[in-house]
Amino acid sequence: MERARQYALSGYLIALADDELILGHRDSEWTGHAPILEEDIAFANLALDEIGHAKLWYELGADLLGQDKTTYPDRLVYFREPAQFRNMQLVELPKGDWAFSTLRQYLFDAFEALRLEALSQSSYTPLAEIAARIRTEELYHLRHSQAWVPRLGLGTEESHARMQAALDALWPYAQGLAAPLPGEQDLHAAGIVPSSAALFERWSGEVSQFLVEAGLQVELRSPLADMHRSSHSEHLPALIHDLQSVARLDPEAIW
Amino acid sequence: MVFQQEGPDQPVVHNGTVHAPDAELAMLNARDVFVRRPEAVALWVVPADAIFTQTQEELAKAEPADQAASELSDYYVFAKFSQQAQCRQVGQVQAGSPQAAVQAAIATFADKQPLWWWVFPASAVLKNESSEAEPMFSAARYKTYKDQAEYPVVTMMRALRDKGRLD
Repeated sequence: MERARQYALSGYLIALADDELILGHRDSEWTGHAPILEEDIAFANLALDEIGHAKLWYELGADLLGQDKTTYPDRLVYFREPAQFRNMQLVELPKGDWAFSTLRQYLFDAFEALRLEALSQSSYTPLAEIAARIRTEELYHLRHSQAWVPRLGLGTEESHARMQAALDALWPYAQGLAAPLPGEQDLHAAGIVPSSAALFERWSGEVSQFLVEAGLQVELRSPLADMHRSSHSEHLPALIHDLQSVARLDPEAIW
Repeated sequence: MVFQQEGPDQPVVHNGTVHAPDAELAMLNARDVFVRRPEAVALWVVPADAIFTQTQEELAKAEPADQAASELSDYYVFAKFSQQAQCRQVGQVQAGSPQAAVQAAIATFADKQPLWWWVFPASAVLKNESSEAEPMFSAARYKTYKDQAEYPVVTMMRALRDKGRLD
């Protein structure tokens, strides 16, 4: 692979990894706080899985940049400024109530299932192999979040109201899934990655139908004005501060 | 109740309980709570109230099971052989009632002398589909979980303390 494309692909992968890292961090905030013990454990598992996936993407990104993959991921995670993160805003929003976190997880998992399916067909073999491995685990995540959406949507008056409120808040941010990742155009033309816009089309159809069947009303609103991954909400800096505070106390510390 | 099989040649064993409003969520909870790290090839969930149990003491006092004509169905038979042992599958019988299933188990598995019999209708069990096995169980196999001993923190702190003492 040529140098320029290697750089482009590493930027793409780091953005993917940032999504996983930030979502994993939000999921981890449920540890000790989920409504029932079983879901507390489930969310801690999700968090660990997402952060594990982030690690795999960061490592491949580091490899493509010719960086040491044992140390470079930590530098990216602990020593970048919030503005340098390339995650989408959907994953950085505060965890909200449990309906909000569960629905966000579903919206994201459903998209990831499609993206990983496509990435596992990538012409770049190392990428395809990792995508296939992550996909196995993501199928389980999707099954979990998919199980809860109709149960809450069609559950009690309160669970329905909370799910509808969560959907109203999340839906505009979920439109950001359609936005291309860094370097996507060229990488897509080379058969290395799928087109986010095309995946979004499929996602949108499948997810809307599923949500309607779960008793929820899907508002077809116009997307957020700024879906670019370099713009963030006011919530990201606080999250990054939490995430990095220990590592930055002593940057030379050995873990 | 959650039952797990750790390998193709291993018996299915009871390993715990989860709360759930229905069978699908029980299955998902069972996976998250019990099999994320240990090996598993199969997972069963059974509503707690579908399991009929009899200890040796209860059996000694029990009325003979009513063998009156009722339709036979399949029952799984599990048994606990010591206080420490997990309740594990010993086989399957056909019977018209849970009580009759225990009697059938005693007759069929005459060589077994468990402390406790558990029987439940095969129809009450939700087993994972074989197509679901990969997403449910494979993650635990390739993950490396750091052993506590691999974290150098304790050794490092001790070294720092010793250094402090010398200074």
